[in-house]
Amino acid sequence: MADKALDQKRLGNLPHWNPEDLIGKMTLKSLLFSDDYRHIAVKGILTSLVMLALGGIMAILFRTELAVPDVQILGARVYMTLMTLHGMIMVFGFLIPLIVSVCYFFMPKVLGHERLIWAKAAQLSYWLLILAAVLLVIGRPDFTWTAYPPMSLRTGNPLLWTGYLAIFLVAVSEFLAGAVLLRNALEARGGLSGAPLIAWAAGTVGTLFMVSTIPLAFIGLGLLTDYLEMTAYFDPARGGSVKFFLYVFWSYGHPAVYLPFVPAIAVLYTLMPRFLGHPMWSYWSGVAAFILLMLGAIPIGPHHFQPLYTVSGWYERMVQILTLLVFIPSVLHVFNWIATLFMERIPTSARRAVPFKFMVASIGFIIYGGATAFINAQISIDSDFIHNTYWIPAHFHAMFFGFVGQMAIAGVYYLYPYITGRMYNQKLANSHFWLWQIGLFTKISGMFLAGYNYFPRWVYDYPPLPEWASTQFMITVGAYLIGLGFILFLYNFAVSASKGSPVEGDPWPVEDDAVAAATPAE
Amino acid sequence: MENALGLSGGQATLIAITIGFTVLGLAGLAAAMFMERRWKVSYSFEFLFIIVMLVLVYYADWNSKTTYKAYQAELRDWEEVAGTPLAGEVDRGAFDRVLNVAAFQWGFAFITQDKELSRNAAIVKPGEKVLFRIMSNDVIHGFNIPVANIVAEIDPGDVRELWIRAPDTPGKYLIQCVNYCGVGHAQMKAWLVVQGADEENEETSQLDRGEVISNG
Repeated sequence: MADKALDQKRLGNLPHWNPEDLIGKMTLKSLLFSDDYRHIAVKGILTSLVMLALGGIMAILFRTELAVPDVQILGARVYMTLMTLHGMIMVFGFLIPLIVSVCYFFMPKVLGHERLIWAKAAQLSYWLLILAAVLLVIGRPDFTWTAYPPMSLRTGNPLLWTGYLAIFLVAVSEFLAGAVLLRNALEARGGLSGAPLIAWAAGTVGTLFMVSTIPLAFIGLGLLTDYLEMTAYFDPARGGSVKFFLYVFWSYGHPAVYLPFVPAIAVLYTLMPRFLGHPMWSYWSGVAAFILLMLGAIPIGPHHFQPLYTVSGWYERMVQILTLLVFIPSVLHVFNWIATLFMERIPTSARRAVPFKFMVASIGFIIYGGATAFINAQISIDSDFIHNTYWIPAHFHAMFFGFVGQMAIAGVYYLYPYITGRMYNQKLANSHFWLWQIGLFTKISGMFLAGYNYFPRWVYDYPPLPEWASTQFMITVGAYLIGLGFILFLYNFAVSASKGSPVEGDPWPVEDDAVAAATPAE
Repeated sequence: MENALGLSGGQATLIAITIGFTVLGLAGLAAAMFMERRWKVSYSFEFLFIIVMLVLVYYADWNSKTTYKAYQAELRDWEEVAGTPLAGEVDRGAFDRVLNVAAFQWGFAFITQDKELSRNAAIVKPGEKVLFRIMSNDVIHGFNIPVANIVAEIDPGDVRELWIRAPDTPGKYLIQCVNYCGVGHAQMKAWLVVQGADEENEETSQLDRGEVISNG
């Protein structure tokens, strides 16, 4: 850590922009078609928040349905449509685009290009995603986001093909986003070894995007042609293979988890030194962790299904060992963050800042959801109570929402003064923060308990077993709290843009009350 | 109740380790946020941590392998004496009862070796060692018996074997599908009916087989 200049550069965390009312100055034309990186990023952020609202309303609806057994407000088909759209919209429409948009905003300045290279590809990626979302809402597929054939080929929905086409468009859109991320990372000023960690994140995840979306594109097209009876890849009744689908799908399906996950880590690596005012504890352990995560992502896909009844064969065992080993890069990251927080006194300015709070809370959730993954990885316990019970949604809601979603929202709060020129309302933001933490913890813990009691996934109703009814009620309470927090967030976002206190200069100065009191002369 | 996959022994240890690990991580985060003392962690500490992780990975893999092998050892013995899928007259091997199971949209059919078919009710005796040979002919289904700590996924075309030790207390226990298999998935439930000695001759008179399956 001797080279202070290099440290400063790797920090990549200077107050790069001036607070300004960027949204207010945008015209409809610049919102829709401008290739300026900030316009693309703001468009992505706003769209993702709309998607979050949509997916959230769906969640509130089916959580209400599940709150008590034997009471129906939604039928099975409506429930499953909402569930499918909730999964697809939240992952493809909210998590990935939001966190990638935040990265689009950060990268040009942090990496020193001053512009987003291949901005046109980012633009195209955005519009393809919008087209996919529209197709999904029109077709209203009800085959869950994993679309397992032959079930997904025969749900009886007349507009089923729109769902397959949407999957294909999502694949193309994500491929383009990955290309943009990779290209910008490779062009980092001064080479990768001196670049801020966001460059390594963008490079590794960009590669992962580009490699893993190819199987997804095949899945989308293959389902479409199977549906049209031009091919028979996946339908066993016509000579296809379900296992072929499973292997191909999860070659995308597992990396898909890292596609929002790694950019979220990148945002964390950018914001943490910014708020603390000193570099991360270790630069190279972050780099190593990014590379290991990228290498581990695709081979471990088969842990999502149980391929044969010989689940203990050598192949499955290799998948199990690799899955367990993915623990190591994740732990490297978390260790790095905690060690960084420990290094010096945490400035009071950071403790006050809402994005910092969300960041610390998201580390808590990655520990909660990640440590429990240690038992998910094992075939024997998976065959015991984990496989396709609520244990699985508990795990991925902790990681996706608890970590990635909250990290993305931290990014939005951080960028707020830069895109509106004003500060959010602190009290409302604090309420949002606590509602989400309590709601998320309640919801995720309820899901873990439900899974431990063998509550099956994808059911709209269930027998009134006490251990099922109580945990479902608990999850619904958590979901309502999260919904309430989101309403506060939206209100704050909208109202503070015109009524918040204007910000001049650096909106996030590193200040410490105790230090300031000790040296008043300065 | 003996079951190779039950939450006891090594598996309970692993769950305890996991909970310990979660608490440790959260405590570390809380300490970093709220403790007065500041600390520049040594890099060797991280390497030490990775070694601990590697030991945990080794232990978890070893535990999973031995648990599952012990469970499957019974099946392998069975396979040697078993005939083709769903054959009628086959040796029961070490099992007290063999039930062929057809999972379909949406329900389970249990076929005894005497070719008696029962929809959505697997009738067994207390404490029996039961082998299920499950197959699906339409879509991917799941098969879960909560009381027996077992859950599995069945791809169309496969015959998947699972065995359980039936509960000692007579009663009705849930069997359910856990893989989304279409709009009737939530109704795809059946009962593991453990019949005591006194009910033996009453056959299925008490059973309401239509209770859980409906076209709703």
